[in-house]
Amino acid sequence: MTGTVFDIKEFALFDGPGIRTTVFLKGCPLRCAWCHNPEGLAPGPEPMVGAGGTRLVGTVMDAVALAERLNRQAAVLRQGEGGVTFSGGEPLLQAAFVEEVLRRLVGIHTALDTCGYGDSAAFERLAGRCDLVLYDLKLMDAEAHRRYTGVDNRLILRNLELLGNSGRPCVVRVPLVPGVTDTPDNLGAVAEAARCVRGLVRVELMAYNRAAGGKYAACNRTFQPAWDEAREENPRTELFASLGVPVMVL
Amino acid sequence: MTLDGRLSCLRERVRGREHAVARVGRVPEVLSECESEGLSWGWRVARLFVRQCEAEVPVIRPDERIAFERTVPSVAAIYGEADRRRLFSGRRAHELGPISNICADWGRVLGEGLLGRRAAALASRSRLAGDDTALGFLDQAVCCIDALLALVGRYAEAAEREGRADLAGMLRQVPAHPPRGFAEALQALRILHASVWLCGHYHVGLGRFDQYMMPYLRRDLDAGTLTEAEAEDWLAEFFISLNRDTDLYPGVQQGDNGQSLMLGGVTRDGADAVNLLTRMVLKVARRVSMIDPKINLRVHGETPLELLELAAQLTRMGLGFPQYSNDEVVIPALLAHGYRPEDARDYTVAACWEYIIPGRGMEVVNIGAVSFPAAADRAIRAGLEQGDGMGGILERVRAEIRSQVEARVREYRTLLLPPAPWYSVLMTDCLERGRDLSQGATYNNFGLHGACGSNAADALAAVQLRVFEEERVPAAMLLAALAHDWRGYENIRETMASGPKVGNDDPAADGMLCFLFDAFADACEAAGDNGRGGRVRPGTGSAMYYIWLAQGHEGMGEPSVGATADGRREGDFFSSSLAPSPGAAVRGPLSILQSFAKLDYGRICNGGPITLELSDAVFRNAEAVRKVAMLVRTFARLGCQQLQLNTLNAERLRDAKAHPEEHRNLIVRVWGWSGYFCELAPEYQDHIIARQMHRV
Ligand code: SF4
Repeated sequence: MTGTVFDIKEFALFDGPGIRTTVFLKGCPLRCAWCHNPEGLAPGPEPMVGAGGTRLVGTVMDAVALAERLNRQAAVLRQGEGGVTFSGGEPLLQAAFVEEVLRRLVGIHTALDTCGYGDSAAFERLAGRCDLVLYDLKLMDAEAHRRYTGVDNRLILRNLELLGNSGRPCVVRVPLVPGVTDTPDNLGAVAEAARCVRGLVRVELMAYNRAAGGKYAACNRTFQPAWDEAREENPRTELFASLGVPVMVL
Repeated sequence: MTLDGRLSCLRERVRGREHAVARVGRVPEVLSECESEGLSWGWRVARLFVRQCEAEVPVIRPDERIAFERTVPSVAAIYGEADRRRLFSGRRAHELGPISNICADWGRVLGEGLLGRRAAALASRSRLAGDDTALGFLDQAVCCIDALLALVGRYAEAAEREGRADLAGMLRQVPAHPPRGFAEALQALRILHASVWLCGHYHVGLGRFDQYMMPYLRRDLDAGTLTEAEAEDWLAEFFISLNRDTDLYPGVQQGDNGQSLMLGGVTRDGADAVNLLTRMVLKVARRVSMIDPKINLRVHGETPLELLELAAQLTRMGLGFPQYSNDEVVIPALLAHGYRPEDARDYTVAACWEYIIPGRGMEVVNIGAVSFPAAADRAIRAGLEQGDGMGGILERVRAEIRSQVEARVREYRTLLLPPAPWYSVLMTDCLERGRDLSQGATYNNFGLHGACGSNAADALAAVQLRVFEEERVPAAMLLAALAHDWRGYENIRETMASGPKVGNDDPAADGMLCFLFDAFADACEAAGDNGRGGRVRPGTGSAMYYIWLAQGHEGMGEPSVGATADGRREGDFFSSSLAPSPGAAVRGPLSILQSFAKLDYGRICNGGPITLELSDAVFRNAEAVRKVAMLVRTFARLGCQQLQLNTLNAERLRDAKAHPEEHRNLIVRVWGWSGYFCELAPEYQDHIIARQMHRV
């Protein structure tokens, strides 16, 4: 079985505990206006045109070969109290492939970094195979979610509920976008939702990535932030603290 | 955590090089008296030291608590050019000539005081009566001791005149007598260490600072005469003082001055040596944030993460240190090379990364480099022309390496080291044996570096894969492409450039790297005695060779090379020490460590670090700092030897190149040393900007 991967990053520091290698799966059903991986959105390999010439982004990999490569680092990752994270794009779009790789990993802590927008059965299967789920929550308001990500958030919230009830260890992650996701209403609602997740390890508020727009032109997309990029984002950690929800700004 | 007003003032003054403006001393005229008195070489060096000491003008600055700075801007000649040439005729001088790049026995000199060393010299004098060589040397040594004490006496008088009873009190005690506490120990070390440069020596290592200084700190803390915070301020001031004269110190570039110190590890009898001062140095170096001293830390697989985190906090400053050495690899390698166990446990680095035993090593740790790219390239070209298979090419590589090692060692068998009576005083047992340091110490090995191995291994692996296994690139075509520096053969270049690369935990490329270092170690072993009762230690450093070997350099004995089969164009840089080839697509730091963990470090013990560049965005929070600490632990657990972690911000570097005036204080690691970015030559700046960087 094969899948399309657009990067494998070693020593990924902000994708779960310890020293981790993150596999970025190509293709995403969302179109977040702040996405900093525009080259990961389309499902297939695509050319990226930069100053140093054109390169093909996205490699079709065999599940066995990928698992073998990751297994070679098992000891190192274990000693670094870390493991492997599957991210994207959206790993749920290639659930069968990811599942196949997961099945072949031996003695490695695994994490699934997902936006939660995917088939619930597939989500439960993948989450069930991972030691930790990094669950991205962007906007709690349905209308705002549609406007900024292009999709409805009902499925995302339903999957979060499934995850919450399962008791599986989970980190809820919120990208801080100034004036969009960092409003008191939104972060307050995230805190409420996170509180109901039984396996919640903590909430991670991800600092706004001001280099996000940098790669758009290279993959023939346009970056149009409808917010003031110069404004400092406001993590409002007190909203979480007041509900007893552990929170951390990354 | 920053410096208080007075200390930050001192630092700014040193950074602004204000000391250089105040150099009122005149370079003494020594040559004529040497000639009219017909002095021997040893006596000339002693006379030089005396006159340089006399020429120094004491400077007492009201806000400085540790005195001594150079006021004489250079070192006088003791031979005319023709005589110098005659002295060295048929003999080889090492670099500038005078002994450099070793480490004194600071603990001993502090502990005995110079008067103690003087008594030792006199004792040897009566014991060795009749041995004229010994007597001459010992008299020179005593003469040097007296000269330095006289200079310190003038400093003490000046301090008294300025109403600085505190300083005068210290200078009346040290370095003549043993220090009574931490401050005096620092003052003594400052004078002793800086004085070594006065007779032409350079790259003077500071050794195991936390070991030999700890007894003095402990005494003050136990007696309550210093608090830890006060001790930290003293230490900060000492570190700043090490930066006063650095513009006078010879080196390839500004900053390459060898003021390296070692922390941690084990004691001479094998106990854990990490102490309060180990941590204090890591903390204070972060506060001071200057290029000197360069910090090294000895680690092992079980070094507590808390210590490594402290070290990672220092890495975060972007100074390019600490550099890490793995005791579990270095000590056994030194044992295998004939070092006594208690000496092996006592290792430090000389100037950059080469391992040396303080006080006991008169090793010439960098007699040159073997150019792996040249060896591989000649073998590939000759082999393909002659219709060799891969095995034949590798045999040629072996022969090329052997002949390069032989050539370097042959030159150095005629090495002539000038007498060094003052440096001898500072070593463990030169006075006791009545023998000048230039006649040798306990360890007298040579170090030779195998440089730019990744490019060579990649080239061999690409030939093996593309020419022989896949038969995608015909030998004749590759030869033509190399001869034309790839012009007109861009697709062949791309095919060769996309071969296996060191740094990806790829058995094909890594296997070639291991082959190169094995052949190198064999050749060094076969070289046998180095003419000084030592042997040749192979190493993994490259120093400036990643540029010199690629682009040629005046007076360079090592062969230069054109385009190489790894797809590299003529003139492009090679890999520096143990790093992937520049521009190679590598998977990341874990794979790089896994690749270099395959080397047999038991055979290559001269040192030379794996070099990893981290983006400064890595250090976003305490968890990330801890992960950097774990990366260092991974390095140790994988059995690698030495690691240099650099923190870079590529945008800032580019901006600094364009607008140097706005980045005067930007410090970067170059090879075994750090320097101010804006003071580096453009080719070094470019290489640093182009280095592999692991982003978040
Ligand atoms: S879910 Fe992630 S990958 Fe997908 S569009 Fe949003 S930010 Fe980009």
